[in-house]
Amino acid sequence: MNKLSRRGFMVGCSTAIAAMAGGRLSYVAFGSPAEEPNQDILVVVFLRGGMDGLSTVFPIAGDDRGFYEQSRENIAIPVSGANAALGLSDQFGLHPSGAAFLDLYQAKKLAIVHAAGLTSDTRSHFDAQQYIELGTPGSKSSTSGWLTRHLHSAGNLPAQIIMPAMATGNLSPTSLVGSNETIGMTNPNDFTFGGQWFYGSRQQAALRKMYAGDSWLHSAGVETLNAMDVVSSANPGNYTPGNGAVYPGGSFGDNLKTVAQMVKLQLGLRVATVDLGGWDTHEYQGDQGTGYFANQFGQLTNGLNALFTDLSNANGTDHTQRLTIVVMSEFGRTFKQNASRGTDHGHGNVMFVLGGQVNGGQVYGQWPGLSTDQLYDHRDLQITTDYRRVLSEILIRRLGNPKLGTVFPNYTNYAPLGLVQGADLTPDYANSSPTPTPTPLVTPTPGGTIPSSNASVYLPFVQR
Amino acid sequence: MTEEQPQATHHLTASELSIAPNIADQSIEPAQAATHPFNRRHLLGGAVSVAATMTALSAPAPINAQTTPAAEQTATPAMRSAQPSVDAAAGTTPTLPSLAVIALNRMGFGPRPGDLDAFNALGNTPEAALAVYVEQQLNPASIDDSTCDTILAGYQFQTLNKSLAQLWADHVTAPMIPYDVRQLPVRETEKATLLKAVYSKRQLQEVLADFWFNHFNIQGWDYWAAPVFVHYDRDVIRGNMLGNFRQMLGAVAQSPAMLYFLDNQSNSGGNPNENYARELFELHTMGSENYLGVVPLTVGANGGFEHPGPKDANGRPLLYVDDDVYGATTCFTGWRINTDTGLFAFDSAAHFPYQKLVLGQAIPASQGIKDGNDVLDILAHHSGTAHFICRKLCRRLIGDNPPESVIQAAAAVFSANVDAPDQLKQVTRTILLSTEFRTTWGEKIKRPLEYVVSLLRAAQADFKPDDSFLWFTSLMGQRLYSWQPPNGYPDFKTTWSSTMPMLQRWRVCNWLLNSWTYGGTEANKDQLRISFTNPPTLKKSTDLVDGWSMALLGRLLPDNERQPVVDFMADGRNPTSDLPDKEIEDRLAFMIGLIFMAPSFQWR
Repeated sequence: MNKLSRRGFMVGCSTAIAAMAGGRLSYVAFGSPAEEPNQDILVVVFLRGGMDGLSTVFPIAGDDRGFYEQSRENIAIPVSGANAALGLSDQFGLHPSGAAFLDLYQAKKLAIVHAAGLTSDTRSHFDAQQYIELGTPGSKSSTSGWLTRHLHSAGNLPAQIIMPAMATGNLSPTSLVGSNETIGMTNPNDFTFGGQWFYGSRQQAALRKMYAGDSWLHSAGVETLNAMDVVSSANPGNYTPGNGAVYPGGSFGDNLKTVAQMVKLQLGLRVATVDLGGWDTHEYQGDQGTGYFANQFGQLTNGLNALFTDLSNANGTDHTQRLTIVVMSEFGRTFKQNASRGTDHGHGNVMFVLGGQVNGGQVYGQWPGLSTDQLYDHRDLQITTDYRRVLSEILIRRLGNPKLGTVFPNYTNYAPLGLVQGADLTPDYANSSPTPTPTPLVTPTPGGTIPSSNASVYLPFVQR
Repeated sequence: MTEEQPQATHHLTASELSIAPNIADQSIEPAQAATHPFNRRHLLGGAVSVAATMTALSAPAPINAQTTPAAEQTATPAMRSAQPSVDAAAGTTPTLPSLAVIALNRMGFGPRPGDLDAFNALGNTPEAALAVYVEQQLNPASIDDSTCDTILAGYQFQTLNKSLAQLWADHVTAPMIPYDVRQLPVRETEKATLLKAVYSKRQLQEVLADFWFNHFNIQGWDYWAAPVFVHYDRDVIRGNMLGNFRQMLGAVAQSPAMLYFLDNQSNSGGNPNENYARELFELHTMGSENYLGVVPLTVGANGGFEHPGPKDANGRPLLYVDDDVYGATTCFTGWRINTDTGLFAFDSAAHFPYQKLVLGQAIPASQGIKDGNDVLDILAHHSGTAHFICRKLCRRLIGDNPPESVIQAAAAVFSANVDAPDQLKQVTRTILLSTEFRTTWGEKIKRPLEYVVSLLRAAQADFKPDDSFLWFTSLMGQRLYSWQPPNGYPDFKTTWSSTMPMLQRWRVCNWLLNSWTYGGTEANKDQLRISFTNPPTLKKSTDLVDGWSMALLGRLLPDNERQPVVDFMADGRNPTSDLPDKEIEDRLAFMIGLIFMAPSFQWR
């Protein structure tokens, strides 16, 4: 049972939205971001399928470069020629399709953490994603995701928020399981009831009564009705990105655009998730810095650059000052390429942290090396930085939530890498949310029990 | 008054059109959009009136929603007492409906009008009727499906009867194949499958085909899967789903669709590709519940390899580790497609010929293709596979967290009949005739596809799978054959009860009942809508709601759902007085929409 005191922000359940009653939000509830404290927004971008971190950030010099070229005869990113690596440092290069990231890196808005990830011994996509997103490596029994527990345990959020969390896409990710304050949507234009002009609103009113029950389905219905009120009250209309930002076509770009739009509407958004699938590159991922992987990484980096640009100095407000974006995947891939010029499931990987308060322009973490002895299981990049260390620093320094024991149970010995600016609060390792068991809830969540297997939410946005 | 309003019909927005360019020619012109969809009815020969078969109305419709049938009062939901769930204490947890409702919603895509009566007529008791119904459904060829066959024939599908070799010749190797021709097999299969879900009397067959396809999921629109998709769906999945699991496993492993999708096509002795072998363990057979993780083998006292983790009574490992995946990977080296014919071929030159170790069992050297077959044998016979498969089947047919008792019973049948030609039929029968199947409810809701098909069935819609409809299934998050990862669409309520899929089910209901035309662009397209005919005997708001609830749901709405619908229909008038005909006509479809949007219509 979830013993957290549930905060007042079930979707749309604030007096502000209630008072609107179908009218138009006037932005009174949430003033300018400068005036409201603890307004930071975390955007979690999850790359589904196991992104090949050694094709994105990789050695360009030294012994490791030799091992790299040996093990990746065809797919190694070259250091010279038409598709040469972009230089990050004397040691590391960036995939040539990531120029949009290089700009942000050089502007010190983008930090890179290498050899990071989930230390559990699994090469299953679905287990690894669940462990990471539940925030409980090795266990799939939690009924809430790590972002859900952050929202529920953060002591510094206003009592009421109109739209605290958003999951873009058709389905919500595991990191937000058990959250009844999250609105899931693709874009606001699809997030309408679509009812007949006269009877539609009457039907909605009737549905509110019909779903006024206490089962998980009834809760889900009420949340959905609330979410609809929130979105329609915000009156999103057509959206033109700011500063000439150009998002890539397709679901990923659309979802990022929706995030920007909701940030600018100032509905109190604190957490948003965006997924990009299509990283399971067992075959022909692209030779010499070209091909499929190059397109994927280009989409990722161009999209995030567009989001950052869009949110910079919009109508005099620089939303990036309170924005932190973290990019992660369930695992990296094998150091050695396979016969089909692809890579199989691996271990350590790269993580990206992007935002206005990021100490960017640097590659963080301890590089474990690429000689066979230095590889995990003699085949994959070792993990020297637990992914929870990166997320914990963002939780504490940017989001002001030191309750690590609740968000990441059993995680201890946190020390910041120095990725972002912010105050170092003393970590609270006590778990105020003991491992839940499926007992009746007074306020049921849409979830209940997390099934024992295959419950991952794994979103197919990009065709291979 | 509604007729004067241009907004009367929701039609596709510009952004929707940009996503689905093919439906642009079906968007509704403003002038026509002004026409209320329900004021011209029954001009189309194919349009069927729900009222014609409204079974509730042949008998006096119960007026008081609290009058529950005897079956609902006496049955005890075993699942809720056996396993605490979030629903257990909920005051609005649904009561157990009649066995006919349970069976038709779990063994199929929901009842069409008349189906519940037909089910009940099969036996003197509901249990007796179920036994007969299960036998019929487990022998689909015994069911006359001529109505559905006729509808399918009307589409003149070109690829559905082609052999694998023919598909390969026509859609892969023929010169200059346009993209849409290459994709035609999957597009036709999608349409045919939707038509069968809506029209076929062989409903269990459609439920199982969906289950097993997702179990062995491939992305159907994949470059290599699309042209051979007919073979995968028809021969590999449907051809084995009531047969033997080991046979099915072999058919999947040797199908061109799977050989390409999980890259075994390029798995070779010199440089292995483990994609297929890993998912074979994790998704197709033992499941991640039987995965120990990256734990190395050790050398035992006698100098041989020791498998880590627990063993069964015969000393065989109960759980698999990565070394088992690697061993199996080398066993499947050289499993190929003959790229001239599309048929399976074994390339001994690409095969790794030396001894392998899989789950503690030595695979001798120089066996050739037998290596892979040995692995499939080991996995098909493993107790972990029996439990994993049965748990998933029970999850589909019963509830998200099915009671362990029924899983054990099904797994015992799975293992005892592991070589029987009708192994999966026996397993399915065990689940469908279990107490747990009959006595549980409210743990699961229809997924988007089940929702929309059940709506079409209940409404007796003249369904045509046009592009706008297919696009809507994408928006709902469950377009057929479009789940990219190899694990198939999720089968847990957590996935399908978040706001986007919840909203889209209401939205698609509005669209189908208010806006959808299934006939394309003809002048009379406004007649091509789902239409409802109210029987003249139904005039009171309470009678209207109860009568249509019985017709669409096979039961009355519970009070807390019924009252708001009655109030909607009465619109301030006395709910037990006759409504003017004009008001009934104006509101009927929207009232019916509310019944389709109610919690009661979501459960399964």
